[in-house]
Amino acid sequence: MKRLRSKKAVERGTNAAIYVILTVISIIWLFPFVYLLMQSFRGEPGQATAYFFPKQWTFDNYIHLFTGEGISYKDGLVKATEVKFPLWYGRTLLIALVVTVIQTLIVLVTSYALSRLRFKMRKPLMNLMLILGMFPGFMSMTALYFLLKLLGLTQDMSTVGLILVYVGSSCMGYYICKGFFDTIPKSLDEAARIDGANRQQVFFKVILPLSKPIIIYTILNAFMAPWGDYMFASLIAFGNSNYWNVAVGMREMIQPAALSTYADSFQRFCAAAVIVSIPITVLFFLLQRYYVEGITGGSVKG
Amino acid sequence: MANLSLKHIYKVYPNGVKAVSDFNMEIADKEFIVFVGPSGCGKSTTLRMIAGLEDITAGELTIGDTVVNDVEPKDRDIAMVFQNYALYPHMTVFENIAFGLRLRKLPKEEINRKVLEAAEILGITEYLGRKPKEMSGGQRQRVSLGRAIVREPKVMLLDEPLSNLDAKLRTAMRSEISKLHQRLNTTFIYVTHDQIEAMTMGTRIVVMKDGFVQQIDTPRNLYHYPGNKFVAGFIGTPQMNFFDGTLKKCGDRVEIAFTGTDACVTVPYSYFYKTRPGYLDGKTPVIIGLRAEDLSLDPEVIASSDAVVKVKVSHKEELGNETLVYGDINMEGDGFTESGTRVIIKSYADVAYQAGDIVDAALNLEHVHLFDGETEVSILPRIPDNNDVDCEIADGKLLFLGRELTLPPAVHAENGSGELLIPTDAVSLGGDIPALCVDVENVSGKTLAAFEVGGRRLYALLDVEKGAQVKLSLDMKKITVLRGGEEIVRPLPTVSALDGMLKKEKTVREVEIDGKKKRKKEIVFNLEIGGAKFASPDLITNKLISALSVHRAFTAPLRFECSPYDIAFTQEGIPAIVEEVLDYGTERFARCRVGERDVIVFADIPVEGEVHLSPDFDKCSVFESELDIRIV
Repeated sequence: MKRLRSKKAVERGTNAAIYVILTVISIIWLFPFVYLLMQSFRGEPGQATAYFFPKQWTFDNYIHLFTGEGISYKDGLVKATEVKFPLWYGRTLLIALVVTVIQTLIVLVTSYALSRLRFKMRKPLMNLMLILGMFPGFMSMTALYFLLKLLGLTQDMSTVGLILVYVGSSCMGYYICKGFFDTIPKSLDEAARIDGANRQQVFFKVILPLSKPIIIYTILNAFMAPWGDYMFASLIAFGNSNYWNVAVGMREMIQPAALSTYADSFQRFCAAAVIVSIPITVLFFLLQRYYVEGITGGSVKG
Repeated sequence: MANLSLKHIYKVYPNGVKAVSDFNMEIADKEFIVFVGPSGCGKSTTLRMIAGLEDITAGELTIGDTVVNDVEPKDRDIAMVFQNYALYPHMTVFENIAFGLRLRKLPKEEINRKVLEAAEILGITEYLGRKPKEMSGGQRQRVSLGRAIVREPKVMLLDEPLSNLDAKLRTAMRSEISKLHQRLNTTFIYVTHDQIEAMTMGTRIVVMKDGFVQQIDTPRNLYHYPGNKFVAGFIGTPQMNFFDGTLKKCGDRVEIAFTGTDACVTVPYSYFYKTRPGYLDGKTPVIIGLRAEDLSLDPEVIASSDAVVKVKVSHKEELGNETLVYGDINMEGDGFTESGTRVIIKSYADVAYQAGDIVDAALNLEHVHLFDGETEVSILPRIPDNNDVDCEIADGKLLFLGRELTLPPAVHAENGSGELLIPTDAVSLGGDIPALCVDVENVSGKTLAAFEVGGRRLYALLDVEKGAQVKLSLDMKKITVLRGGEEIVRPLPTVSALDGMLKKEKTVREVEIDGKKKRKKEIVFNLEIGGAKFASPDLITNKLISALSVHRAFTAPLRFECSPYDIAFTQEGIPAIVEEVLDYGTERFARCRVGERDVIVFADIPVEGEVHLSPDFDKCSVFESELDIRIV
């Protein structure tokens, strides 16, 4: 009689192979992050090293970011530079938070309207927004710069200018959010309307409490774009380092001039990168449980 | 608590699909109305229009004394239970029920009291702290009911509330909803596709198909007097048997011949008093309907019956207390596919027939239903439209049922015999046709009297007592005479149609403001009919724009339907040519030509040649011609 292979043994073998592949991929994926973290604690001077772990561990790179100090190449002494990083960090955080609030609101209401209301030109409008969203943002960069310049929203007013630029195209990101709203049964809206709610009450009292996963997704998305933007920020603040955001400032740290003047410029850049990743990490860990929470259970017959 | 009125309600989607057509109904306070029909028949759409969740394209919906076409759902004082419960998943049962009350800002104590009261009625007090996902389907639907009853609405709307429950729970909830209706004493409108739910719960049932109302009646009347084949087939389990056949009058009996088989039975002619004689010619195809319980396999019944047919048994369904025997009256038929010869017989539980057996079945023809072979409309209506009698026209005289009537000049035809159709509403008291009232029937609030005239029955909608000897007269405007299938005398049309359009015009008017003359631009709306312009009444303009959208309102072809009494001869107006003056003795009418159309106008003055007509728009009906929607 032919002996059949055990189903469990086959499963074990397949799983082992899958885990090995996943582990390798994870290591490759994590390597740059760990390298960056290690470099941020490197005490020995010089640019990027060919080795992974620092020979001399230090926390000075982080301190120097906030005290505005750097180690001079000429004599190896700690010299004062301009304190700009906290300024950039604070400005970027402000822009990102304001944009997050406004953009989340705009995306949610736009998506809800497109999901629930039926009006003329709804579909063409949705398609237009989708197509416009496919064009890279930098295509409009020059035009936007001149528009903002006309309005006096560059240089010293670049914070407002940048907020306008980021918020301006928020509703383009309606698609995923609308898809989520489409999955919430319309009968819930109808039940609420019959119960006495107006559209606004339906949205805030019934739909939003059920939409935590998509709200979190929208918040994270809205925060990430201005937080990591380099292109628009560098153009609109132009050459004035007082109005840069954190990405433009960090880029400056690894310019040849900085690298040749300060022996710890690269390490400070790595430390800045670690600090920049903190808010996103914190935000994600705080909100991630809502991502997976199935909230609509029991609402309607499945 | 309130009554509802639905008048000429239409729902037409922007793509032109008509979901509901000309829905008319008066619903009394505290009634339990059930809308029933197959999927896509428009029953849910109608309910949603009552709820305010769908816009009404045309027509008028009144709840209580208020027209609510444009009223928000929350202000209609209605509550609705959804098929999928539609509970708010993030709220507890208590919060779900209290949601509507909180929105209305009721005091906390009152909310608590009302929610607890509702929960007690529905037996869900112990679940008040739970979330919907922690409850079963039946419990969730109770919560949904609680949410509706707590608001004490004027009208309760239920959209297939039991469809998602299992069969046993459905039966239990059916009784509970009926109990709730008795307890709350409010108007219930219930939508279902399940005819058993409809039959067991409704005080009246609305049967719908393809957006049209098929019949509105009590469950009992729907079962016993279906208006057409669809209603007959939809109501009752198992479905009514339908056989193709013909009817032939032989003396005082009528022979029913079944097509596709040799089977033939006879019944007394008295069953067919209300049927048009044309159906009894032995040629006109009819559909013979018999319910499964009106066929019997019982040998005793068969022995005493004079209407027995042979049935070839194909299979049977044993239901425990009874058995459904399937077969075919055509010995070549298979008994499985629905055909004009397939038969289902409700029999006692322990029948021993096997597939292929040929058995006798007795037909109880007292309960036979007959439908037109083409239109599928019942040919045994409770109130017949017409009385159909033989007649003769000779030198301006009409001879029928042994009587002779002088025809008015408007009714003229060549001498000869024919078939006279007298509508039941064309017969009135006070003429010179002597008649004996032999029967009086009350049908849906109307009194139908049967008279014996010249050895025949004549039906009329008249309030008389049985046995009364009366004299009848005919309204000559309503009679029809057929000769060889052609109408040689036509009834006077009750409405005439005129084609037109709504047009927008910009005008400049001089007005005086502070003593200075100023030119003021304004937009006026006109109805253009047959080359004439009439200022459009606001009611018509507004209803057209709201029903057809702004663009369509000004491009859609319109049809104005007016009774002859609502069109007047005027100095200016629609140019028309008088083609004929119809003199009915006491009244005169003019048949006028307007474009392609004939328009009948009451002529209280002598008219001839070219005239001008003006309709009374307050009394006209306005239709959108392309989709045939009655707007006003």
